[in-house]
Amino acid sequence: MGNILKKLGVGLAVGGVLVGIARSQAVPADFQVLFFVIALIGAIIFMLLDAQPIRTMSGGKSLVSVVAFGVLLITAGVAGPSLLPQFNPEDEKAKIGKLLEKERKQSAQGKADELIARVKALDAQVKALEDRLKGLGGVQAASTPPAGEKPPTAASASAGDFMKVGEEQWQLQECYNCHKLRGEGGKKRGPELDNIGTLLTVDEIQEKISNPKSFMAEGYEKEWQKGIMPNKFKDLMDPKEMQALAAWLGTFKNTSVNTPKPIKKN
Amino acid sequence: MKKLSSSLLALMVLFALCVATVTNVYAQEVGASSVEFPYTGNRTAVWIVAQLHILFAAFILGAPIFVVISEWLGYRKQDPRYDRLAKEITKVTVILFSMTAVTGGFFVFVLLAAYPQFTTSFINQFYVVFAILYPALFIAETILMYAYLYTWDVWKGEKKGRHIALGVVLNLVCLLILFVINGPTSFMNTPPKAEGVSPQDFIAAATLWDKIANQSWFPLSLHRIDGNVAFGGFIAGLIAAYMYMAAKTQEERAYYDWMGFAAIWIAVGGTLLQPFTGLLLAYEMCDYDFSFCPYMMADQLSMFFEMQGVMIGLLFLGINYYSWLSVKRIEGAENVRTTILAPIVLVVLLPATMWVMNKYWIPDPMSLALLLPLALSPFLFGRFIPMTVSARTVIKIGFIVMLVSDAVWLTPAGFVATGADMPDELKLPEGWDFLSSMPAKLSAILTLVFVTVVNFVLYNRTIKQGTILWGKIDFVSQFVLIFLAFTSTWIMGLMGAVRSLLKKYFHAYSLVSDLSAESFTPTLSYSAGWITAITVFFIAIVSLAVLIALRPSVSRAQEPEGSPVPVAAK
Repeated sequence: MGNILKKLGVGLAVGGVLVGIARSQAVPADFQVLFFVIALIGAIIFMLLDAQPIRTMSGGKSLVSVVAFGVLLITAGVAGPSLLPQFNPEDEKAKIGKLLEKERKQSAQGKADELIARVKALDAQVKALEDRLKGLGGVQAASTPPAGEKPPTAASASAGDFMKVGEEQWQLQECYNCHKLRGEGGKKRGPELDNIGTLLTVDEIQEKISNPKSFMAEGYEKEWQKGIMPNKFKDLMDPKEMQALAAWLGTFKNTSVNTPKPIKKN
Repeated sequence: MKKLSSSLLALMVLFALCVATVTNVYAQEVGASSVEFPYTGNRTAVWIVAQLHILFAAFILGAPIFVVISEWLGYRKQDPRYDRLAKEITKVTVILFSMTAVTGGFFVFVLLAAYPQFTTSFINQFYVVFAILYPALFIAETILMYAYLYTWDVWKGEKKGRHIALGVVLNLVCLLILFVINGPTSFMNTPPKAEGVSPQDFIAAATLWDKIANQSWFPLSLHRIDGNVAFGGFIAGLIAAYMYMAAKTQEERAYYDWMGFAAIWIAVGGTLLQPFTGLLLAYEMCDYDFSFCPYMMADQLSMFFEMQGVMIGLLFLGINYYSWLSVKRIEGAENVRTTILAPIVLVVLLPATMWVMNKYWIPDPMSLALLLPLALSPFLFGRFIPMTVSARTVIKIGFIVMLVSDAVWLTPAGFVATGADMPDELKLPEGWDFLSSMPAKLSAILTLVFVTVVNFVLYNRTIKQGTILWGKIDFVSQFVLIFLAFTSTWIMGLMGAVRSLLKKYFHAYSLVSDLSAESFTPTLSYSAGWITAITVFFIAIVSLAVLIALRPSVSRAQEPEGSPVPVAAK
């Protein structure tokens, strides 16, 4: 017992010191918890190292102990990972939904879904017509247009919509993982792009997205050499989407941001 | 022989069923609808069966390597315990071999039911592999496996060399299977591509070899080879623990204590290589498409890797704790001393490696030129320094170093699910952020490996100077063996999920989209639940196989061996 208390005391003291140092340096609380937990694990390990040996068990006793140990492992296996921050799949589902929208529509399943949707829309129209007929001479049954009718604004895409497509592509293709823009995203893997509109024309931006080797940002020689920017976007975006992304990026002309100068390569 | 023929018949029937199913798939109309698996959904259903198949396959491919090494050691050292160990593991392997075939067949059916169109096109891409090479090699492996088991008692004495040679041939076929099946597996992650050609056009013109020899094929195969050896060792350790607990006599306990020890050290051999081949695989994946890197390390999968760090940290702690318990039962261990350079290097290694890696990142040879002499200094210069320290103290210092390394490994840039949305208040502040860098992570891994190597060297020194009391190990060690088997199986499940999730919303990356509603990254919590369930199911089946193959009545038929032997007498 003395051994356990002594080791626990040391573990708590080390953990406390680590937390104190971390707190004084404004290290976030999660990290303080991590350091404290590791200090406690250390205490447990040192308790085990100096613990008295367990007597050999056999038969039913060992079976029960194995089952109990198994339950402990299962609990840790299920509960442990749940303590870590969890990614919300709904964020990704919406993105993937947009990325695969066209393909899904083209696929057989997509066609079947479309047919079902049409049947449902027709059904709704029939019901709406029935309601109208019933209410002839009286108050119109439904104030909203019947389902399935195209909204009048969907026919034409304005310049604003075009820019929205570009911004959406920025999000969908996760360009922010490597490039900083508007102070968000980027891990220094690629250049900050807030002034890219001053340095490249829209066509040149499009060329760079389509063929990453076409331009090299000054100071990014290693990254360019390694081909860090994936050469896949021309396969993932259709020409209009890529054009929209380039046009949207072309609007960023913030000269106070030091976007590195692109050098024409190929 | 009756058992052999019935097993072969079962395999033939399974093969015929697979061929019939494949033919049926070819006859399907394009656009055939898929089955909806209740409760799990299609993607998880495929994942569960595939992961189970991989676990059984990993064991039956890894165990023969382990077994033949053991048999050879027994022959060379004239120590019958190695031979008994090899034979017992082979008996369990043969049972699990059937499970591999069953889960493999089941996997094909589930895949066909869940994703008929993709499976059809995928089989079409690798028709020669799936219809000819893989079944032919699997049948060859079956025949060799049974021949290896049934000639054990026939080819002994002077004919032992012949039996070992058969084991080597079996291993060659196993390796060939691994390389062949890793072709289609790795293809899904990194299908071959060329600049200026669309992926679809390139694949349409590619040869079978182009498709197999894709960028992640060789590193994945290497990673799986050492992974399978390690896994085989940990499962053999589990078997030893069960048998030790069920042993009725001290002789049996002595033998299974020794078996657990031998199994774990073979597993450690594979485990020490794992981080490096894993790193090579990750490097090749990132080189193929850099977007894999942030997806793994900074975004959706970042907490999966945090969990990997936790589990590998625990695995190394478990291995070294087992080593400590092994040292404790050696008479005279307290008198063993080693050079003072050992604890000094242990303490200095982590910060030194972090500094070197930050300055000379891989593949700069300067990092190796600076770190290798430092790591080797206790072994090379230790004898010239008269100051020594107790081996037990060094092992304890090693534990502290391991804990610090684990802390470094587990320190992310921020505790958030996706790095892209990280608020500043959750980020590591400037001056601390070096802890979350890749050089820091690699330094932590290298240090964990180094501590384990030092402990192994100390253990060997201790057994040379003392006397091992086989069968007298602290009973808690058997729980450590079970823990190691559970942890290694869990890690296999986790990394299997990561490798598969890396395809993102594709069946074959950038080539064939997964148009189902399930093509998103699940939460770590959801994945962990299934990984644990798969692990429990696998271990339950292994336990059952041990009960069938090595139950006390079967074991009692073996000649008693492995009585407590002074090491010096070996």
